[in-house]
Amino acid sequence: MNLFFQILVNGILVGGIFAVVALGFSLVWGIMNIINLAHGSFLMLGAYIAYVLFANYHLDPFLSLPIAFVVMFLFGYLIQRYIINFVVRAPILTTFLLTFGLSLLLINAALLVFHGDIKGITTSYSGANFSLGPVTVPWSKLWTLVAALVITALMQLFLTGTKTGRAIRATSMDIGAAQLSGVRVAHLYAIVFGLGSGLAGAAGVLVSLSYSLQPSMGDPFLIKAFVVCVLGGLGSVQGALVGGILYGILEAFGSQYVGTGLQDAVALVVLLIVLIVRPTGIMGKATA
Amino acid sequence: MAKTSAVLRKVGMGGITGNRYAFYISCAILAVLLVVPSLHNGYLENLFRGVLMFATLSLGWNIIGGYTGYVSFGNVVFFGVGATVSSVLWQHYQQQNIVLAIVLAAIVAALMALILGFPILRLKGHYFGIATLGIALATQEIISNIDWLGGGSGFTIRQAGFFSEYYYAMWAICVISLVATWFIARSKFGYALVAIRENEEAAAILGVDATKYKVIAWMISAMMAAAAGSVFAFANGFIDPPTSFAVDNNVFPIVMAILGGVGTVAGPLVGAFVLTAINETLWSKFPQIHTLFFGAVIVLVVLFLPRGILWLLAVRGGFRGFINSLKAYRV
Repeated sequence: MNLFFQILVNGILVGGIFAVVALGFSLVWGIMNIINLAHGSFLMLGAYIAYVLFANYHLDPFLSLPIAFVVMFLFGYLIQRYIINFVVRAPILTTFLLTFGLSLLLINAALLVFHGDIKGITTSYSGANFSLGPVTVPWSKLWTLVAALVITALMQLFLTGTKTGRAIRATSMDIGAAQLSGVRVAHLYAIVFGLGSGLAGAAGVLVSLSYSLQPSMGDPFLIKAFVVCVLGGLGSVQGALVGGILYGILEAFGSQYVGTGLQDAVALVVLLIVLIVRPTGIMGKATA
Repeated sequence: MAKTSAVLRKVGMGGITGNRYAFYISCAILAVLLVVPSLHNGYLENLFRGVLMFATLSLGWNIIGGYTGYVSFGNVVFFGVGATVSSVLWQHYQQQNIVLAIVLAAIVAALMALILGFPILRLKGHYFGIATLGIALATQEIISNIDWLGGGSGFTIRQAGFFSEYYYAMWAICVISLVATWFIARSKFGYALVAIRENEEAAAILGVDATKYKVIAWMISAMMAAAAGSVFAFANGFIDPPTSFAVDNNVFPIVMAILGGVGTVAGPLVGAFVLTAINETLWSKFPQIHTLFFGAVIVLVVLFLPRGILWLLAVRGGFRGFINSLKAYRV
């Protein structure tokens, strides 16, 4: 039974990261109808920002979180405004390929700059943990989960409480009506894509605390973002959070009881079942 | 938006098959490719076998993704299954009969598409794409964990006999796929697929059995990919899941179809030639960073040729018409 609780806690802790990864991916997908295959490489860039700041200025990754967010926000804004915007209304295939090309570009550019060797961030508190009854909790992972919850809450506040946030939600409901009400859609889309990329950057910083860094590190997280989006429902903040944590638990139990090599297969089979039974996701609206 | 897309369709690709002359020229090019093995140049033979393989994969993807409009992101699963069938045949039964391998691979893949097709093809748009991606990744991981199928370490196939046999086999599969696509596109079945792509509900009301046609289209698509995979296994001499389920085998065919022209008969073949030429040139000029340039090429192709090379043949109004056509997808 102790093992059961330990696995459950591990799953929840890692699920926070998945939630932040999926949040940006889900926003861009749900609002702009773009499957951003470069999301994983944005995450990688965020992680390298944390690494560079840590290695050169000994800046704690949690402090470089806002920096990575802002830098990646601007990066995403420019990419949407000056590249993706030209084909944003084309069939899904077009943007899918465009972002795939972007991700190839970014990963290989990172390979040139940072080289392929595996890097890591070791803070003073890496490896420190505390006991909670029978369960061991690493401090860094607990703080990661807290940061993930704070990011998710801020995102929800932004989308419901600010004028820009309401404009974003209005545009996702009816682009024509939003345009008539004075929303500058191209600018707004760029903000949404910037947010998605900023969140990927923030997620990359969180990932850098417990995973090793290399240019193609983002790809597995991209697949997880897919699954989480489908589990939780598209474009919904709560959905990403619930889906992320659910996926974390699922993966933790999958690797324990089915086999380490099959943990992704377990998650993917669950994905297929959810897709077939309830295509709008667990938290999604009944009508897509 | 509806208006622009209607205009784009009217400009179209020259009907349901695309440009007729592009198809005839493709057939002629394929006929010329038959002489490649007699040049006794190993590099050229490998290169063009690769072109034929990717063209076949792209033609297969085009049936479901181009004609039927169900964009599959996991057709590599059938390629991988085809390759696995060949390697298992050799490993456990010492069979090198290439025709047997191709037929068996096609049957296995078609059955898989049949069983998976009924639940999966109910999904629309992105969800179908993700489900297919999920199937591809899950199948790869499951095969990696079953030792009888090669497991994580894979099987080595000792190539007995005449090496160019594999080239001729790949050539034949490609020709069959191209000609089959031509006849499918011109048949009632082809028109039904396009009707499903354009408006599935309307097609169903007019009496098109959408589910049946979609599943059959996916089975045909699967058979093309599996046949290419089974020949690839023999030609490559070694098969493990990362080789057969490689991301390249999944994405290149889609890029090629788009580059040539989605939903045209010759598009995938044209795309395969052009993309391979670009890739080879980049590779020889910039061996270190050719993938970076390749990413840039994809970005440029999508921005400037979102409807493919063959579509250029149909653009009206010269350069200005081309520029205007690019504005259709902006916000």
